[in-house]
Amino acid sequence: MNTRMSEPAIVLKDLCKTFGDVEAVKKVSLTIPRGTIFGFLGANGAGKTTTIRMLCGLTKPSGGNATIEGEDVWKHRHVVRAKFGYVAQRFSLYPDLSVLENMRFFGGACRVPRARMEPQISRLLGLTDLEKKRDVPAGSLSGGMRQLLALACALVHDPPLLFLDEPTSGLDPVHRQQIWNLLYDLSHQQKTVFVTTHYMDEAERCMQVGFLDRGELLANASPRDLKASFRAKLLELEIEPVMPALLQLREVPQVLGVSLRSGNLRLYAPDPEGLLAEWQRKWPFPELRFRGQRWVEPDMEDVFTAYSQRYDGILNKEN
Amino acid sequence: MKLPTPGAIGSVAYKEFLHIYRDRRILILLLILPPFFTLIFGHAFEADQLTDVPSLLVNRDDTPRTQRFLDIVTKNKTFVWKKQAPERADEADLLGHHVRGALVIPAGWSESLGNGDPKPLIFYLDGSDTNTASELEGSVQQSLADFQMKERDNIVRTLPMEVYDLGAKLPVQIRKEFVSLMEPWSLDNKVLYNPKTRFIDYVVPGIIGLILQLLTVTLMACTIARERESGTLYQLLVTSLQRGEIVLGKILPYLIVSIFLIAMITVVAAWHFQVQFYGIPMLAIICLLFLLCSLGLGLLISTFSRSQTQAIQFSVFFLLPVFVLSGAFAPLEQLPRSIRYVSEVFPLTHFCRAFRRVNMYHAGLQFYAGDLLVLLAGVIVTFVGAAILLRRIEE
Repeated sequence: MNTRMSEPAIVLKDLCKTFGDVEAVKKVSLTIPRGTIFGFLGANGAGKTTTIRMLCGLTKPSGGNATIEGEDVWKHRHVVRAKFGYVAQRFSLYPDLSVLENMRFFGGACRVPRARMEPQISRLLGLTDLEKKRDVPAGSLSGGMRQLLALACALVHDPPLLFLDEPTSGLDPVHRQQIWNLLYDLSHQQKTVFVTTHYMDEAERCMQVGFLDRGELLANASPRDLKASFRAKLLELEIEPVMPALLQLREVPQVLGVSLRSGNLRLYAPDPEGLLAEWQRKWPFPELRFRGQRWVEPDMEDVFTAYSQRYDGILNKEN
Repeated sequence: MKLPTPGAIGSVAYKEFLHIYRDRRILILLLILPPFFTLIFGHAFEADQLTDVPSLLVNRDDTPRTQRFLDIVTKNKTFVWKKQAPERADEADLLGHHVRGALVIPAGWSESLGNGDPKPLIFYLDGSDTNTASELEGSVQQSLADFQMKERDNIVRTLPMEVYDLGAKLPVQIRKEFVSLMEPWSLDNKVLYNPKTRFIDYVVPGIIGLILQLLTVTLMACTIARERESGTLYQLLVTSLQRGEIVLGKILPYLIVSIFLIAMITVVAAWHFQVQFYGIPMLAIICLLFLLCSLGLGLLISTFSRSQTQAIQFSVFFLLPVFVLSGAFAPLEQLPRSIRYVSEVFPLTHFCRAFRRVNMYHAGLQFYAGDLLVLLAGVIVTFVGAAILLRRIEE
């Protein structure tokens, strides 16, 4: 038992998936320890859902392998399935069945013993605040409640692992917060949470973040380490008028990219000090007014931009 | 792979049952269609003879003898005659006269009957429906035969004595032969297997087949397609449910519903139409085999349909030829021989044949063992096919 406890929850080794000529996932290797909230980031079509589906045993890997608690996700998929819960990207519960009926069905389907079923269901209904809605058809719940119900159904057999595919997309902030609080609780109970997201503030909440781009895993570290992978602080400029400034700064050869943050322009450049010094000597844009500058710490959005745009000049990539 | 467990099958079956129960439209369809169809088919084909068919009568030979024929033919219940003046010549325009046939007595007809060269009557027939046409023709033929017998009796009664004297001189054997030739030779029908000659007794398996194919196949075809459409299929597959458990769990409620449908049809047939069922245990086995065949077919359609719409389209595509070619409502012998080979592919053909062999013929097993084997093969083929296709979805 002790040796199993020290084993990582999920291990991916050179995992690949090709659909015809398209390489959806390219040799992804990854280790996720138990109790981690792992955030899987990437643009739409980056291969996040394909990876999750391979881990759930819904798609056969084209190469490499992955294990969950030491069991191969494809060869032993029937064993592995008892170990995780899965919340799909789109609502996939039975709309004509009530909250309670949905939970009982998934409980039965996951072979929860009869004696444990009812206490487990009332515990989960309490956690997700769905007690009052227990007899309401799932189809007439609000988006947030549906997602909470999907989460409750995925947890009905008390799995050590949870996969969530964009669980909060399209939800209001209150329900997003509620779902994240639940995920923290799970992590606290040494359960492993594997979650894909688009939201950078959510990535910030994860303990470990993997960044997938066009099927390639570009980064895999804690949010702090990812932010530390920037060579330097970022330069933020206050210039008026701001939109023409954005377009003109993008044309400067030494600048890799510019993003707009709360009315200021954030510069991605390998040598921002040099640029600033040069501009302070002579401002090259007569029609733009330079009003000030400050140095900022990179946040997850900068990480996402730098990795997805492959601004290798500003990143230390040896982690 | 572990063996399917009753608990897991039960969860799926209960869920599937809730789907049927919650969908009120389907529920109403399930409760109303079977007795409705039984009543319609039972009553619609109750009368096995045509009556009151509007027809035209044109008499161009106004003689006492013709009048005697008219007396007979106007009493024929098959027709309602519209008389038309003999000088009009448009009797062939059946549509214009709103009739299905037109009987013309040509001028000089009764005279031709008397002088050894009988002219034919002319009968225009609406041939668009071949069954009606042949039945009308037979009915006129019958009236004509009755008329001929009456005329013969008249002639015999008025023969001069000399003829009898002449006849007495003939040898006995020839006289007997002659008398016998003057009588119409008759048929003494002894109807076997359906002594009351009612259509309902024949058509019960057809109705069961129609309902099961219409409801069971399409509903079953929708089940997996619906899960696919709504994305719940993946949710199902990531639970520890095995394929076998999903399939058995999905079939179970539809099996129970279908048994209920069959029971409803037989109850209506027995109570309302006094249809008697013979060999009920064997009939039950035949029904069960056919049911499993239908469910398997639905499942098979379900596994290659991407949406419910597609599932319904596929079902209709499969079922239409079945109804026409299966011999459910009309004897297979009406079809050309080459098409009959196609009919042998459909489970409904074998179901109807086996059902009738048991229920109407009270036949021994050797007369329908082949049909049972084909049904059994159908069950195995559809279920194995569905299992293979479902495995492909899973991967």
